[in-house]
Amino acid sequence: MRFSEKVAFLVTERRGLMWSVVLLIALISVGILMAFLRLDTEVLNLLPQGFDSVEGLKTYNSEFAQTRELTFALLCQPEDVDKLEEFAPKFVERLRAQPWCVRVLAGSPMETPDGVRDLQRIALPLLLNLEPEDFDRAISLLQPQKIQERLAQLRREIESGSPRPEIELTLDPLGLITPSLKPFAGNAAMETDQPLTSPDSTMRVFPMVTNQPSISAFDCQKLMKQVNAFRTPALEGWDGGKLEVFITGRSAYVAEISLSMRHDIVATVLSSIALVGAVFFIGFRRWLPLLGMGFALLLCCLIGLAAGLLIFHRLNMVTVGFCAILVGLGVDFAILIYGRYQQARNEGDGHRVAVADAIHSLGRAVFFGALTTAIGFLALVLSNSSGFIQLGVLIAIGISAAGLLMTTVFFLFVPRGNVPLRSDWILGAVRNYVRRMQSRPRSILAISAPILIALLIIAIAPQIPLTFEANARSLEPKNSRAGTALSLIMQKMPVRWEPVLGIVRASTEQQLHDFWNAIAQHWAELQRAGKIKSFSIPNALALSPREMQHNRRKLASINFDAARTALQNALTQNRFNPDAFASAFELLNQLQAAAAPDYKIPSWRTQLPPGSAWWFLVERYFAQDSLTTTGFVTTNAPVATQEQKNVLARELPVTGIPITLSGWSYTLTDLVPWSHRQLLLISALMAIFDASLLAILYRDLRLWLVQVITLALAVAAMIASMKLLSVPLNLLNVLAFRLVLAIGVDYGIYVLLVWQRSHDVARDLTGVVKPVVLAGLTAIAGFGSLGWAHNPTLSGLGIACAIGLFWSLAATIFFTLPAAVAVKPKLPREHFTEAELEHA
Amino acid sequence: MRKIITVIFLVASFVIGVKAEPLSPADIKSLLERIREKRAAAPSMQADFQEQRKVHLLDEPINSSGKIWFQAPNKFRVERKGNAPSITVSDGQQLWIYYPNFKSAEHYSLAKRSPLDAAISAITTALNLENVEHTFHIIAAKGEKGYDLELTPRNPSMKRIFQKLLLHLSDDLFAERTDMLQPNGDQIVTTYQNPNHAAIPASQFEFTPPPGTEISTPLGK
Repeated sequence: MRFSEKVAFLVTERRGLMWSVVLLIALISVGILMAFLRLDTEVLNLLPQGFDSVEGLKTYNSEFAQTRELTFALLCQPEDVDKLEEFAPKFVERLRAQPWCVRVLAGSPMETPDGVRDLQRIALPLLLNLEPEDFDRAISLLQPQKIQERLAQLRREIESGSPRPEIELTLDPLGLITPSLKPFAGNAAMETDQPLTSPDSTMRVFPMVTNQPSISAFDCQKLMKQVNAFRTPALEGWDGGKLEVFITGRSAYVAEISLSMRHDIVATVLSSIALVGAVFFIGFRRWLPLLGMGFALLLCCLIGLAAGLLIFHRLNMVTVGFCAILVGLGVDFAILIYGRYQQARNEGDGHRVAVADAIHSLGRAVFFGALTTAIGFLALVLSNSSGFIQLGVLIAIGISAAGLLMTTVFFLFVPRGNVPLRSDWILGAVRNYVRRMQSRPRSILAISAPILIALLIIAIAPQIPLTFEANARSLEPKNSRAGTALSLIMQKMPVRWEPVLGIVRASTEQQLHDFWNAIAQHWAELQRAGKIKSFSIPNALALSPREMQHNRRKLASINFDAARTALQNALTQNRFNPDAFASAFELLNQLQAAAAPDYKIPSWRTQLPPGSAWWFLVERYFAQDSLTTTGFVTTNAPVATQEQKNVLARELPVTGIPITLSGWSYTLTDLVPWSHRQLLLISALMAIFDASLLAILYRDLRLWLVQVITLALAVAAMIASMKLLSVPLNLLNVLAFRLVLAIGVDYGIYVLLVWQRSHDVARDLTGVVKPVVLAGLTAIAGFGSLGWAHNPTLSGLGIACAIGLFWSLAATIFFTLPAAVAVKPKLPREHFTEAELEHA
Repeated sequence: MRKIITVIFLVASFVIGVKAEPLSPADIKSLLERIREKRAAAPSMQADFQEQRKVHLLDEPINSSGKIWFQAPNKFRVERKGNAPSITVSDGQQLWIYYPNFKSAEHYSLAKRSPLDAAISAITTALNLENVEHTFHIIAAKGEKGYDLELTPRNPSMKRIFQKLLLHLSDDLFAERTDMLQPNGDQIVTTYQNPNHAAIPASQFEFTPPPGTEISTPLGK
């Protein structure tokens, strides 16, 4: 018994056994999904691995405090700017009162008494951390004579009307805190670096830190539910015109992305099933086979997802498109097989014979179709992007399962009885077309070839550009509230271009201090040489136990009693208010205590209150692990090219210090060439594989040439359409090209194998062209349904694929077939055995 | 005898106080309109001034005197005399404070947000009173001679600099006395005498540090 007959026997005579196997597979798959389902919502995981810049971005995104930071922005009408300024403190007060709020930055901490007090609290370790010569210069101010001279001078300046001495004495009555902040001197004030009010004063920004327990998608959703509920009460008491609240930040993004993943799964699967079902029903007017196809596809999805979970443990956001793609691809097999089955039934075969006939005659095409598609998607493994590797592997598994299930389980749903179609206008139209194509193939080529060649010219013409979106926004969900908020804030705020991040990890405090000291010197030289514009680094807060110990020993030589007396006398002589100088006496006490070798200096981290606005500055530089830090380099111009990036990569590092350079702009200079390489190299590899496979399959140069030219013209038409319709490529939908190649090859195989091996060409071509057309339309519908996805990566991929598949299908029907007929490569009848001819 | 004089003084003050009539919002609006007309007709002012500053850092107030030149909306020059002389000049964008005794000068940029912006606008508000109703809550009363205005800032940035500005205007609606109370307890009382509304040359609001002057930018801007 042939294999096809064995399968026909099982699905027609041993249905109970088959159902049991199907149920077992379904139960195992569902069980795996329920037990292990984990979603990876991290957008950065879509980026390729192996780039330091990408790893740096991931580190910055996950280990630094910005993971729990949200930014609120209030936007008012231009005539309400005064009201907004008046309203802002009330808003901040309400924000601080929220149970999920840890701290809010409402302005420069230097402008608030609390901010000044907090700085005075951490003055001691910062002072002791100074370089020896700076420390010597600073503590020389504690000499009694210098104390008296300084205060007398400041007193005279106050009398002259200067505001400076008041500011100085309020912050730093002894003159020691300012030198201890010297390492920050290169760092612009927080307010200047990150302005909190737009130049037209219509927008005010409030960064805040939340207390969400983890950064998981579910915790982000839970937090954002509370945060969004705050939007309305937050504006109570506002009596001006329209006031809008915008919220952005990692949690806002993750909550939106994870929710949009749910939407994308439901919307794309439902729309895909509906569209595919509609095309199938129009083609065959049967419900049960349609149900069977849907069931088999669902089972394929379950198998693919379950296998994917077992392999990868977490499913990336891109893999949510897996189901829709699989439906679009797998339906081809069902349509082809069922088309052939129905043809056999219409010719009088019984149910079991027709099943065996369909499997025998198209099993080979389905096998090669599944193979080329699976390998086409497996090529995504070369992309280095974990999201797309998952997608490729899942589809390869799913499509293999589809090939198997559509030639077995699908027939469980096909009824034994056959009611012939009264009128099949599609089949009629196809028959007419095939007849005309056989008699006058060149007349069809005369229309199709010029169109395809014109599109080829458009595709290669540099005058019409193909837009390439190389920015982070191309990865965000469409209509993202968090994304809109961020772009509006960036539009309103006069921020400079994004700095380059330099992430440094150390194993000890001393090493961290030494690293940053060396980097500071090197970057200062680069700045002096005009190679960078500016930089800011955490060296002031990266304490050096060695320097501190050294400086503490010097404190022993200071006569603190004399300094205290001199201070007291200077205050009296210059008629200063002693109460206003309490912090000066306190710092003297701390310094005297620190002079004792056994005194343990409290860490500045414990001295700074959790609600202090200074944490916003600290957490820019320090990760949760205090030995992981980052510095920021502002370049002379935005980083836009790989040449700029290469110069920075060469100049910024210091020999012997491990530093990871990153930042979005910096990373994109790596990713754009990567995308181009993806487009060219891997697609070329795919093309070589396909071409080799076709050569083995056809063993005919002319047919092989016809198919290869068709593929080239289809891809060119796809590029031309994207140019003309202004459909942009993004970092990830460049992968659509290989997908179109894989499916385009399948269509060619289906029709050319039948053309090559049939002895009744008109009948057999009609029998295969109709299913191919229907399969093509369903695949276009399946991929087109991805256009409904919120995730632009997914929708971009779907739209690009739908365009490409349209041209693959059109080129197969209107170019491949007439060209094959025109070059007459048909093999002589004697090359086949009778049995082969019988079923060809 | 001293007690009797004190009682008489208090009673007299009370009687005088009773004579001050609070103005309705409509009257305040009308008063501000008249002030605007006056400023439009005479945008310049120069006067002698006496200032008393109570600074929370000091045990006793600082008294100073000198001359002020003002050009609406925001240019001014203040020349202080005495033991600690200084010259403060602002063209509305930049502010210089020059200390002849120390041969040093401080330079502040007012275009960017700084603690000085609000302080400067306090001076210009007192002498200009342009659009004050938008930035201040205003209470006003008509006194025996002139008007008393109490200005409370609406904006938090202003509130950070001063809590309240009391302003006494003469019958011809020019400032005679200002009393500014700051949140940290500092207080500045200024009285203006011998006002003159003649035009002031533009050079008066420009400043070039003399050669050899040590220049600093305390706010780093």
